[in-house]
Amino acid sequence: MAALRSTSRLVASSRPLFRPAFASRSYATVGEPAPSEQPKMKTFHIYRWNPDEPAEKPKMQSYTLDLKKTGPMMLDALIRIKNEMDPTLTFRRSCREGICGSCAMNIDGVNTLACLCRIPTDTAKESRIYPLPHTYVVKDLVPDLTYFYKQYKSIKPYLQRDTPSEDGLEYRQSQEDRKKLDGLYECILCACCSTSCPSYWWNSEEYLGPAILLQSYRWLADSRDEKTAERKAALDNSMSVYRCHTILNCSRTCPKGLNPARAIAEIKKMLTSH
Amino acid sequence: MASLARQTPLFRRSCLSASRSPMQVMAFHASAKKQILPPLPQVIHGTTNDAVEVPKTHATEGSYHWTFERIISAGLVPLTLAPFAAGSLNPTMDAILCSALILHSHIGFQAMVIDYFPQRRVPKTRAGLMWLLRGFTLATAVGLYEFETNDVGITEALKRIWKA
Repeated sequence: MAALRSTSRLVASSRPLFRPAFASRSYATVGEPAPSEQPKMKTFHIYRWNPDEPAEKPKMQSYTLDLKKTGPMMLDALIRIKNEMDPTLTFRRSCREGICGSCAMNIDGVNTLACLCRIPTDTAKESRIYPLPHTYVVKDLVPDLTYFYKQYKSIKPYLQRDTPSEDGLEYRQSQEDRKKLDGLYECILCACCSTSCPSYWWNSEEYLGPAILLQSYRWLADSRDEKTAERKAALDNSMSVYRCHTILNCSRTCPKGLNPARAIAEIKKMLTSH
Repeated sequence: MASLARQTPLFRRSCLSASRSPMQVMAFHASAKKQILPPLPQVIHGTTNDAVEVPKTHATEGSYHWTFERIISAGLVPLTLAPFAAGSLNPTMDAILCSALILHSHIGFQAMVIDYFPQRRVPKTRAGLMWLLRGFTLATAVGLYEFETNDVGITEALKRIWKA
């Protein structure tokens, strides 16, 4: 990579054959940009725990970065720390644009995606980064979401239908029916909402949590799905849905701006009207 | 959690040695040593590709329970206001108000027990607390019945306290 870069720079700066001499001189007058003013140093405290040393307690490690040399987002800071300061820092990331949901973590007390969270420019304040709360930690900022995905599987998140479509081509729905799925299909299952829900902290074994219930409602609301009754029956118990006490942490924290609490309320309404 | 089990004897040893030699400094731990219901080690039943078991449906739980709870909660507002708005006391209305209050508080405390004492974690404590709650509810019901039949009743009592 380094070799490639230097080559391209060579090509760009090499003087073209037919450029007159005075033009090349204008290149030479362009100096280095003035040395930047004072660095903007900001401290990040990051939760560290290494499974290779299980007897050691989790600890907070501090890193100080110059914000002028760092990208604007928390993920940029994390990547810079990992690249330049401490390669042992472990976190998940993939798309860096809020569509994969890998970099969900607790930043300054709020569950959010590191790639969508701006670094607060106030350098006097120090940022604290933890893994998602009340999750089993695999390492550093990596939570174990196995149970979360198993719960997702339990709601059968796929189209269930027995009758074929009229023309044998595709299952059509009206524009109104399609509109019902807006605000539901955008969920990326980052688990920010579920891990912010106190009720999910207490009863995560049985309560499905806001993320899974939003997905559940996405299939209940779909006009093409024909197993609505079965889906409703599977939710009709004291634990799956009704542990929701409308605390609304889910809607507040969702990094995608969705409203899981509304979806849960809609499920409750659907279950009431048998 | 295996780490915690391993940690305890280490911690004890450091305590003992600290009493012998004043130079040794005990490790500082910010987290509390005595937690209420600390999390157990993670247990995943089946493989990662198996779905979680769906809880069983019960006739008195789920949507009927929730609808009943909401009706009582919403009904309590007019029931509480009615005797004061009407200005007259009706023993039947008083009885309805009392039973709604008892049911409302029973369902509320039931939800608290379900939330804070998970069935999987503390099944015996959960069952015991449920019976305790039933006992309290029954005692309250008997008490209110006595109060309604042999005394002035809840609405009149509130009125007197307000004016006292």
